[in-house]
Amino acid sequence: MISEPVLRADGLVKTYGPRRALDDFTLHVAAGEIVGLVGPNGAGKTTFVEIVTGLIRADAGTVTIGEVDAVKSPQKARGLLGVCPQETALYPSITVAGHLRLFAALAGLRRTALRAAIAEIAELMALTDVLGKPTGLLSGGQRKRVQAATALVAERPLLLLDEPTVGADPLTRSALLDVIAARAAAGAAIVYTTHYLPELAELGATIAFARAGRIIARGSQGEVSMDDLFLDEPGAAHDAA
Amino acid sequence: MTPRENSAWLSTERVLFLARHDFALVASEPGPVISRVVQPLVLILLMRPLYVAALAKEGVQAGTAQVVTGMLVVFSLLALSLVGTAILTERTWHTWDRVRATPARSAEMLLGKAFPAFTTFALQQSVVICFGVVALGLRVSSPGLVAVAITSWALALLGIGGTLGAVLRSPSELNTAYDVGGVLLSALGGAMVPLASLPRWAQTIAPASPGYWAMSALHSALLGQTAPTLRAAGVLLLIAAATGTLAAWRINRGWPRSRLL
Repeated sequence: MISEPVLRADGLVKTYGPRRALDDFTLHVAAGEIVGLVGPNGAGKTTFVEIVTGLIRADAGTVTIGEVDAVKSPQKARGLLGVCPQETALYPSITVAGHLRLFAALAGLRRTALRAAIAEIAELMALTDVLGKPTGLLSGGQRKRVQAATALVAERPLLLLDEPTVGADPLTRSALLDVIAARAAAGAAIVYTTHYLPELAELGATIAFARAGRIIARGSQGEVSMDDLFLDEPGAAHDAA
Repeated sequence: MTPRENSAWLSTERVLFLARHDFALVASEPGPVISRVVQPLVLILLMRPLYVAALAKEGVQAGTAQVVTGMLVVFSLLALSLVGTAILTERTWHTWDRVRATPARSAEMLLGKAFPAFTTFALQQSVVICFGVVALGLRVSSPGLVAVAITSWALALLGIGGTLGAVLRSPSELNTAYDVGGVLLSALGGAMVPLASLPRWAQTIAPASPGYWAMSALHSALLGQTAPTLRAAGVLLLIAAATGTLAAWRINRGWPRSRLL
């Protein structure tokens, strides 16, 4: 069920010296919608995620999450989103349970709700058997699952998942896609960046194609021809909707 | 399940969660703490006769106080390295930005780092002073003033360490800062050689070193001299405030992806 936008990013601009990482980047994501954010390397996908997360500031443009202005109230905005960054970011000596406890607590969960959330996400992401293991001793696929689990341990209205399945095994990919689909069905707005296009078909995601720092095509998978977009010249606009 | 509303009253809880997490990180690598507790004790025992002889005119207590406070300052790099290394390591692991992407504020993250560093440092300093008292007969006229001196020195070190961790780009740069900084903090402050025995030019510039004020605070505190202790502690607290503010400002700006070597 698609409804009002949870995420509104309008006219985002970000420059690094002479390079424009984002150039009038606009994206709206509704509750219950999964948006597959795709595009060539350097299109601005990760920069967009970092701006919405508040890790870097845009030079221009606005971002609202729900009713919250993410630029003026970044701390409040971060309370509304779950983020799975592109790079694996785990503490090697801290156990899986320790990671989930930390991020669940920072998300505001306490006591019974915290323990229940940890148990649930551990089961969904097939991590129950390794909860007591330091993440430095896990396999690559397990580390990927822990990374994703820390973003999903608390239910949030907006999820930003930046290439969460890169290097992941089929079990990890399957577990993660199931959880994402369930969260969308429960009403979360989800931005999912990936280079694995079949995942988007599996999720029933709409497509937002980014190139040169802006969205140049937006629509359902049947409407957006990704072969054409990946092969096309930069700067050409495509109205898919 | 729905998380509780993200309101201001949660911040103390977040600091405590972060502190608990950071305690676990420190506990997982106890080597630096153990070495910086054992080393000063050994060196105090070995070098005390030298300092007592050097300060014979002032009495045995003067030599004992010099070697104990000197080793306290030299090995107080522990606090510096705990915070600086912790921040740089988290930047390298990308976990710092991962936590920044949560409702945790940068100041809360810094406080979370500061608690275990401060606790560990205070423990180290207490062990060394107690050793001085029990094993060498060091006189402590005012434990309260000693606590003030240790606390203000700890806060200054945490601020300096936090700034280094936020600004520098690699473990190599950090180690260079510790090595050079260690000399400036300790030797120039009169920790290795009594201030009166340093060359005239070194005595002149010594007050520019935070170690000078740490030595001054600790010496005065051991003698029970309130005004000099508080004066030196005040300078250390100013250093703590300035460097802590700088660290928080730098951390709040974040780092572009290319800022680590």
